[in-house]
Amino acid sequence: MSDAVPSALAPHEAVTPSDEPIRGASLGRYLATKALGAAISLLMVVVLGFFAFRILPGDPVLSMTRGRMVTPEEIARLRREFGLDQPLVVQFGRYLADLTRGDLGTSFFYNAPVSRLIAERAGSTLLLTGTAAVISIVLGLWLGQRAAWKRNSGFDKATTGLALVFWSVPTFWLGLLLLMAFGGPLPTGGMITPGLNATGFAYVVDVARHLVLPVAAMVAVTYAQYLMTMRSSMLEEMTADYLTTARAKGLNEDGVRTKHAVPNALLPTVTIIFMTLGHLIGGAITVETVFSWPGLGYLTYQALSAPDLPLLQGTFVVFSSIVVIMNFLADLVYRVLDPRLKAA
Amino acid sequence: MPGTPRRRRRLTALLAAIVIGLVPVLAATPARAEDAAVLKLAAIAEIDSFNPFTTYLATPININRMQFESLVEAGKDNEPVGGFAEKWETSPDGRTWTFTIPDGRKWSDGQPATADDAAYTLTSIMTNEKLASANGSLVSNFASVQAKDPKTLVINMKAPQAGNPGLEIPIVPKHIWEKQADPSTYLDEITEPVVGSGPFQVTKYVKEQSVELKANPNFWRGPAKIGGINWVYYKNIDAAVQGLKAGEIDLVSGLTVAQFNALKNDPNIATSNGAGRRYQGLAANPGMTSIKNEPMGDGNPVLKDPVVRQAIFMAVDRNTIVDRVLGGYAKPGITEVPTVYKDYFGLPAGAQERPFDIAAANKLLDDAGYTKGSDGIRIDKATNKPIRLRLMGRNTVPEHSQMADYVKPWLKQIGVDVTVQMVAGSKVSEDSAVGKYDLYFTGWGIGPDPDFQLSINQCASRPNKDGTGMTSENGICDPEFDKLYQQQHAELDPAKRADLVKQAYQRIYDSSVLDVLYYADQLEAYRKDRWNDFQRQPSNGGPISAQNSYWGLYSASPIGSSSGNVGNTGLSTGAIAGIVIAAVVVIGGAVFLLRRRRSTDDRE
Repeated sequence: MSDAVPSALAPHEAVTPSDEPIRGASLGRYLATKALGAAISLLMVVVLGFFAFRILPGDPVLSMTRGRMVTPEEIARLRREFGLDQPLVVQFGRYLADLTRGDLGTSFFYNAPVSRLIAERAGSTLLLTGTAAVISIVLGLWLGQRAAWKRNSGFDKATTGLALVFWSVPTFWLGLLLLMAFGGPLPTGGMITPGLNATGFAYVVDVARHLVLPVAAMVAVTYAQYLMTMRSSMLEEMTADYLTTARAKGLNEDGVRTKHAVPNALLPTVTIIFMTLGHLIGGAITVETVFSWPGLGYLTYQALSAPDLPLLQGTFVVFSSIVVIMNFLADLVYRVLDPRLKAA
Repeated sequence: MPGTPRRRRRLTALLAAIVIGLVPVLAATPARAEDAAVLKLAAIAEIDSFNPFTTYLATPININRMQFESLVEAGKDNEPVGGFAEKWETSPDGRTWTFTIPDGRKWSDGQPATADDAAYTLTSIMTNEKLASANGSLVSNFASVQAKDPKTLVINMKAPQAGNPGLEIPIVPKHIWEKQADPSTYLDEITEPVVGSGPFQVTKYVKEQSVELKANPNFWRGPAKIGGINWVYYKNIDAAVQGLKAGEIDLVSGLTVAQFNALKNDPNIATSNGAGRRYQGLAANPGMTSIKNEPMGDGNPVLKDPVVRQAIFMAVDRNTIVDRVLGGYAKPGITEVPTVYKDYFGLPAGAQERPFDIAAANKLLDDAGYTKGSDGIRIDKATNKPIRLRLMGRNTVPEHSQMADYVKPWLKQIGVDVTVQMVAGSKVSEDSAVGKYDLYFTGWGIGPDPDFQLSINQCASRPNKDGTGMTSENGICDPEFDKLYQQQHAELDPAKRADLVKQAYQRIYDSSVLDVLYYADQLEAYRKDRWNDFQRQPSNGGPISAQNSYWGLYSASPIGSSSGNVGNTGLSTGAIAGIVIAAVVVIGGAVFLLRRRRSTDDRE
């Protein structure tokens, strides 16, 4: 299963908001409930961000100094500098105080502010995951509604089958196959050609060239979730009475599909799209590793090996908060889009 | 609205045509657009900074070897040769080292390089604890450092020292570094070309993407034959191999055996297995104690008996491991010093190596009274329990689990049951430091001078009970070893010192706490259609990159003018194929659209 543009949802699951809003509840109460839920989640993220990574095995200072010439003074200095000589409660207090100031701490490994490390890589990660997500969503939704409309046709079987095959392929393996097949005409890694010093249009073309293979790999392993969601949602709509009405009004099949069935079938995909948006920033460790993309996914992976506690905490808090916020937004948007959920 | 679907179909076809039409544009851009004479290497590991005072990671250290010379460099055969200093003298008591920096030496920015710069560098490490993080241990025996005049640098030692104190400490230009508000963060980012004395200097660093170096015109041995070096970032070695095949990069180091063998058949690529500087061993916990002689960790007490440890090591066949796990690309190990340091390699003359002999190992254990139980597992005579040991290794190092697959059945044959535990590298580091192991796979990279590696086996280098304090390599305390360590530390006669070093290593060898299994070759591959003349270190069979000095990359020369493959500005085969496909698709699409339109019109 892919870990790129991750979603907790299997492709066959029909997607609905995580917890169904209570029909008839007032908008204010609905908002308050959702906001409170999000706030509790954020609080949990903050607490978990600190304690979860301290369960990890490995003393950061020992693993950073193992196998090289260091004096005991140097080890003691590092402990002091990292604040690891303090009791856990004091460390937690300092972490909370820093967090309220928007300070995510300083990475042990890179010796740089965590917020800067994240900011430096956010752009390239979003370029990769965003491009892949847009293509994947458009492709998946388009193929999904076509497949449903021509249910059990050759087209339906072929597109669904192909999508599921790609969904099941390990990303790493697919990425390496793409590298073997297209490496050469297209770059084998990175985001820009070293030493090229391109600017303007040449720079855009250079980045686009580097983007082709990683985006292709990500799209291939992710578009199935949109396709399957859209397909099942569309199948449900196809038996609805209002389509018969539309046909009775004289609309042709394409018109019935695009004007009536698709807009309704799109509703359940809203949640999955928002969840995708929430996960964009987290990057895609596998794709970034295979194609040497300078992104956040790999940064997190790197942080785990030390373990670089501030970097782990920082990335965890930022990524999780974005997911929580996006889920909250999805709940709101869903309510706006679907009149059935509004107060009776 | 009958026109809508048709318009959409047309739009779709047009989009597809545009996308496919982009292929040749994307593919036609030259893969190598820069000047020919730039050597491109794959950088696989992380870079935190180029600050020579603080970075301890392999890639930036290798890059800094190109930028900053030490007073003394490791020569083509790892012998001490002139670097920043031309020559040196040692006082008869080994307490005073005097280095001479010749007239006319210049930094890459043209400023004179003098003893003042060296004194500034060394004093900074001694006095500023933040600047001591990478090389603090190398100056711990320094009492004072003084630039007597621009040509003369004097280092006074606290205790006599035989190992050359000028090795391994990069010297930086005082006129640049003293201006920095916080020198410990300087060169974390590259905002201007670095000033150094080595053959190449970093001019540009794009994080996680590339490091560009240009040749130093003022390098005292003469400018390099190439314009520069680029380290190109790859996050996995398989992609780097594809990059090498595609010609995007010129040299990849750290290949796996499978990759190395596969590249042998490529007509444009040469492979090189240079003797490595790292040992890989199997450590047995002899009952680790802290610096205050308190017992530490949870090692199986049966391992306190040296006979048991010896029998275990006699049941491990180093040659089979070299052949089967390393594909033959390694040298079987003896002591911790690898073959590349020929002066210190091996046991002293006349000493016996431990044989691989399972029958003899069984006899040792039989004679010592460890009888076998009904299941074939021997019983620890002290505790009356079957001998069951844990074998720990890193789950990120494939060789560890592969070796465990051999070690487990071998030890079964001598009646020792083994449970294999492959865990995170950080856990191995932490547990081994506090003696929480029975057996584990360990390894260290070894520098040209043996002093440090020996020093971490002294009684005084054992840690505190909680793992803080000193680092001990094998957790031993042997007064005889300590005496030999001190003797070699002060012995100025190289031949006598080498013998003392070997004797010290023999103490570790005979105590059976560490079985050095092999020294793995450094597996490298490079574009032989573009490059040759790489100086190896050591010159006979050493590696090309990641040397103890700059020889390999400094000596690189491009093959003829054609090598240069001055950016293949022509279109590649792939690009031409792309253009043809795009043309067919665009024309086909247009024809399709026209036909479609006509037929729809007809229907209407």
